[in-house]
Amino acid sequence: MDTCIEKIRTICADLLAKGEVQKVIGFAEGSIPMASRPIAVTSKDDVEKLVFNATCGLNLANYVSEALPKDGKIAVTAKGCDSRNLVTHMVENQVSRDRLYIIGIPCTGMVDKRKIAALFEDEITDFIEEGDTLTIVSPQKKEKVSKTDVLRHNCRMCTHRNPVVFDVMAAEPVEEQSLDQPFADVDQIAAMDPETRWAHFQELTKNCIRCYACRNACPLCYCPTCFVDESSPQWVGKGQDKTDINTFHFLRAFHCAGRCTDCGACVEVCPMGINVRDFTRKLNKDALELFGWEAGLDMEKRPPLDVYSPDDPDDFIK
Amino acid sequence: MMGNLLEHMGIERDRLHFSWISSAEATKFVDVVKEISDKVRALDTDKKLAKDYTK
Amino acid sequence: MNFITIDKKDWAGGIDKSRKTYRVFGPVQDENGCQLKPLAPDVYPLMDAGVTVMSPKSVLFPQTEKMLTATLDESSEDHHIMKPVEKDNTPRVVLGIRPYDARAIQMVKLNFDNPDYQDPYWCEAYDATTFVGLGINRPDSCDFSTSAGTGPFSEEGLDVLMADLDDRYLAKILTEKGETWAEACGFDTSADAAESQALFDILRKEAEKNITASVDTDRLSEKSILDLYEAPFWDDVAFSCINCGTCTFVCPTCWCFDIQDETKHKTATRFRNWDTCMSPLFTHHASGHNPRGSKVQRVRQRFMHKLKYFVDKYDQGIMCVGCGRCVASCPVNIDIREVCKTMNNYEKE
Repeated sequence: MDTCIEKIRTICADLLAKGEVQKVIGFAEGSIPMASRPIAVTSKDDVEKLVFNATCGLNLANYVSEALPKDGKIAVTAKGCDSRNLVTHMVENQVSRDRLYIIGIPCTGMVDKRKIAALFEDEITDFIEEGDTLTIVSPQKKEKVSKTDVLRHNCRMCTHRNPVVFDVMAAEPVEEQSLDQPFADVDQIAAMDPETRWAHFQELTKNCIRCYACRNACPLCYCPTCFVDESSPQWVGKGQDKTDINTFHFLRAFHCAGRCTDCGACVEVCPMGINVRDFTRKLNKDALELFGWEAGLDMEKRPPLDVYSPDDPDDFIK
Repeated sequence: MMGNLLEHMGIERDRLHFSWISSAEATKFVDVVKEISDKVRALDTDKKLAKDYTK
Repeated sequence: MNFITIDKKDWAGGIDKSRKTYRVFGPVQDENGCQLKPLAPDVYPLMDAGVTVMSPKSVLFPQTEKMLTATLDESSEDHHIMKPVEKDNTPRVVLGIRPYDARAIQMVKLNFDNPDYQDPYWCEAYDATTFVGLGINRPDSCDFSTSAGTGPFSEEGLDVLMADLDDRYLAKILTEKGETWAEACGFDTSADAAESQALFDILRKEAEKNITASVDTDRLSEKSILDLYEAPFWDDVAFSCINCGTCTFVCPTCWCFDIQDETKHKTATRFRNWDTCMSPLFTHHASGHNPRGSKVQRVRQRFMHKLKYFVDKYDQGIMCVGCGRCVASCPVNIDIREVCKTMNNYEKE
């Protein structure tokens, strides 16, 4: 993926020099190993700051609305999932297509930083990516691993690695994955009895510190006031009571029903390592099985929970 | 889908009900509320999402 | 000042003895790395573990703390009268606390225990707690404690400072509380004071040499508050921020809290939760107005508080001990070391 960065920089320098866009949203090198930082570049002299690698796991669609100037366009670099969230933004009237210049990046997946950290007993001091080979260094050892072996779960399960909407592509499309069991993780939970399922989710969220990073990193969560922040009436308690924590996670997830692209940003940002995708993955499976729907693929179609259809699979309205 | 997610989390689906009741259908409203209350009462032993203030 | 040696073979036994009088806290490994937790009777602290994800501030200042309760039952004579809840203030000991974290507790103390106001919940917990620190022989790359006014073998705020000497710990007893704890453990093999101090000095110098990260803070106090406040760099600093507040939750020195009341049936409870200046709710007025309504204002507040307002108000350096937790945990890689440098070097044009 490193090779596409030169092309991205050339495209961005050109766009900024010609004044076609006012800024470019992309990723910059992080200040510590295995980190990257979303950045807005406004001058062609700064395009060298842009990078793209397997640690760019955030979803840049999340930054678009806020970065959009009053007039004019901005450019945004977009992986497959980012582009699907841009489509969702457009379908939900958060941004219009003509305000965006989308630089598509075919993506071969992002690394699971926790999985890599778990390979080492001490801290990681260097991380070098060359194609599929990652060289990871700690004070005690230096190890080469294949990126494919340490991909994030959502990237392993990804079937839309290539951007679905773009103005220009930064590289040739990559081969899409086909999966035998696209929802094995959901099925595994579904196979448990109700008490075990409950226990599973209790265990999952037990370390939650309610920082709401999962919500804030999610491009879908753009409500001016979130239900958990509402104070009159206050729907959810603000403490560490497990009922409040469960309520937050359940409702946050449900607000993503039929909208989630499984970009994995929520899990990426969780400081406590909670796999909150265990909630949204069930919704994605249902959206696909009940409505044949995958979010962010089509700018013309309305999402399933946005419309009523006489052949709705549910019979709850009697 | 909400019911499915609740069930996936280990919470009984019968705790969630949707109905379409016109403001003119008072008797239907009463019937539905009764039905829901009965169903939920039958599940009562379970306090998964009820807050415990004794702690 | 006296020194004792603790053979590592006696360590677990000593902890067990102390459990009769102390609730023992210490670092343990869980699925999310290292955490400081109350230890179950059969669990021992992981003394050589890395830095804990969350700081030890929660031992005295839990994320959610019940303060008062009242009954709403009007047949009861004392209905609607808030009463203190019973607290477990039996002695507790925190084993393996990092020296800079102990310094952080002294900073938090400025807020909870000062001539104007003493927070009873925090003060009682503080009085009940003994801090047994372990010097850090191999500092992490994010550690910049030496330039934040503390260090890997700093003694401030500790009752005992220990050094790991492979087969034994060398412990320097710093306070009466520390002495009481050592007695409760049955650790009584005294060591030569001069020799031990020399050893501590060597270890400290070695460890300090291994700290590679640093921040410059020397010019912060001479800067004008308004110049920094109006500086043009805040937009760039804040761009990537998602306002999650992880930095404030993992921070050992962040002390802000929010008080909430909840009622259920006939019981009312008042409790406090950690608050975070990253949340829009932090300054949301009842009128609906929010003086810090935008993300950039909130990010600026966090850094201005830690690196300027605190510096000016208390004259004790920055409100940061250089533990590096926020640097490691920030999901969008906002690095306080970079921001501090930018502020320290800022000249108004």
